[in-house]
Amino acid sequence: MGDAPAAPSRIGLVFTTDVVGVPSSFSDRHGSQRYKRGIRHPTPICRQQHNVIHSGSFRKSYKIFAEWSTVPAIETTALTKRYGETVLAVDGLDLTVGEGEIFGFLGPNGAGKSTTINMLLDFVRPSSGTATVLGYDAQTETEAIRERIGVLPEGATLYERLTAREHVEWVAETKRADADVDAILERVGILEDADRPTGGFSKGMRQRLGLGMALVGDPELLILDEPSSGLDPTGIQDMRNLLRAEADSGTAVFFSSHILSEVEAVCDRVGIMNEGELVALDSIDGLRDEATGGATIELEFEAEPSVDPEMPALDAIDGVQQTTVEDGVVTAVCADPSVKIDVARALDQRTTVTDIHSTDTSLEELFNQYTGGTAHGGPRESTGSTGEGDTRKQEVTA
Amino acid sequence: MNAISVAKRDLLDVRRAKLIWVPVALYVLFMLLFYWGQSNSMNPSFYRIMLSLATIGGVLLIPLVALVAAYLSVAGERESGSVRYQLSLPVSRTDVVLGKLLSRVGVVSGALLASFAIGLVAAWTLVPEMSVEYGDYAVFVALTLLYALAYVSIAVAISAATASRSRAMGGAIGFFFVFNIIWNFLPIGPAYMARFVFEELGLNYADSHLEFIFSLSPTGAYLNALELAFPAEQFPGQVGSGFDVFYLQEWFMLVILVAWVVVPLGLGIWRFRRADLG
Repeated sequence: MGDAPAAPSRIGLVFTTDVVGVPSSFSDRHGSQRYKRGIRHPTPICRQQHNVIHSGSFRKSYKIFAEWSTVPAIETTALTKRYGETVLAVDGLDLTVGEGEIFGFLGPNGAGKSTTINMLLDFVRPSSGTATVLGYDAQTETEAIRERIGVLPEGATLYERLTAREHVEWVAETKRADADVDAILERVGILEDADRPTGGFSKGMRQRLGLGMALVGDPELLILDEPSSGLDPTGIQDMRNLLRAEADSGTAVFFSSHILSEVEAVCDRVGIMNEGELVALDSIDGLRDEATGGATIELEFEAEPSVDPEMPALDAIDGVQQTTVEDGVVTAVCADPSVKIDVARALDQRTTVTDIHSTDTSLEELFNQYTGGTAHGGPRESTGSTGEGDTRKQEVTA
Repeated sequence: MNAISVAKRDLLDVRRAKLIWVPVALYVLFMLLFYWGQSNSMNPSFYRIMLSLATIGGVLLIPLVALVAAYLSVAGERESGSVRYQLSLPVSRTDVVLGKLLSRVGVVSGALLASFAIGLVAAWTLVPEMSVEYGDYAVFVALTLLYALAYVSIAVAISAATASRSRAMGGAIGFFFVFNIIWNFLPIGPAYMARFVFEELGLNYADSHLEFIFSLSPTGAYLNALELAFPAEQFPGQVGSGFDVFYLQEWFMLVILVAWVVVPLGLGIWRFRRADLG
């Protein structure tokens, strides 16, 4: 849901103002810049992005259609990074992230997420393939990119002899941005520590400062590598709110994580990486629909259900895949969450239900199926890649 | 100029590092020792102090000051990962190396200028009867700064070409031994080796060839260039004079020193631009 519904109307505004001749300051910052980029890299106004991902575990391919009005925030084509002969850190990645989108880049450690981000930022050069960020080539137009994005690199150390304030001032000066340093530090919740050297900061405070530095200059795209690492639950909540606020103001957010729940809570779309390949790309709802484990409902009851010939058996209800009864608990696995209520009603007819546990979907399970890789041999063969599984798993951290 | 923003931040950072100041303090200490030595002498000579500063300082302390100040400049940030914060901002990798050079040259030359000023104060107070040769002292200071600049550039280049602190340190120490101690002071230096090879092969060679090989290291070029700062009779080890080939003239020593600033830096930038910083 919410892929990019706002984009067409924004571009509409830009075109209107330009045609009618309203002063360009009337159009918003994003709009006018996008329009300029649109000229620079002419692209169809309503382009259909078409990503086909083969997911071996389901032997099924599915397509994501999304409409983006101008240049995508991030686009990679057959992006590949090889270390030496045997380690394939990223393998032919095709990925498009639209403007204003919150994109979660998910996968276990060593899946190739950081290597991908490092290629987008030109820290690491691709072995083959290309990447563009905001329409600029990630290798040849790095300065144009860095002027327009905010980055939270993974595992990077701050300058421990400099204070938090000095860090933010330095970023603002280098980006030639007018930044209210206090406001930024306030926003990430470390204003009272502004004048302490960061050498004495906790991991969470460093992460907050890093996030604050990424926000300087109101970037068009935020690239955040494992932003929640080191944050406590409050910090994670603060970060989520911040990302949502940024996205609402038109900033695209691309962030990586190895924790599903984090991505689930904020992202418009997610891509799941495993062993260097994108194994799934969908909205959270789309992934939910794909969840094979289905929705599960558990009902505790007082007495054994009476057998009522008028009522169908639980497992005869449409959409119920499986039921078990054990120790006064009925567990029903449903193909669709909406079936759960039918199960509850049916059981309530026959006995007194004392408690209901409902697991919404089994996204975790799905994630494990995509990335676990051990229990099933699916994804590797279906994508036709060479089976160097073990060497690839070797973590190529940033 | 984005290199300036790199340099400003680095200067803010590095001047708070205590280790940088240790060799400088050592240099000042030696300097004061030399002045004190002359104050006990019957007829104190300013040139003798300058000579001590040139040899002990030029051979050991200036390289030490410069290498310590700069060997971690890039490699340290690369190892800690803070270079990724730096390169997330609109600066190029060339800017990073040049900015580092600027700030470290700033630190080193600032510290040395302060030391030389302290030296003058020491001359006035410790040996008031001695006449200070201000003109030659200024030339000496300028040459020493150029020599220090060459060593800072070399250290930044080594730092830019290596991926970790330990390798940068190894590179810096290795350079110091090969291009300083071995090249100019041990009887296994390239000049000796060249003479041996020439003699074994029965080739003709002139002393000027060997002297040129000696002058090719930063320290060799510095020592020979110092003739600019000393009247002929005050400079004992005057090996360079007496040759009238152009490549042993003092101006050519300056060319060699400038080459030691430019060439390593170019190589360091080239390596750093190609590096995977993942």
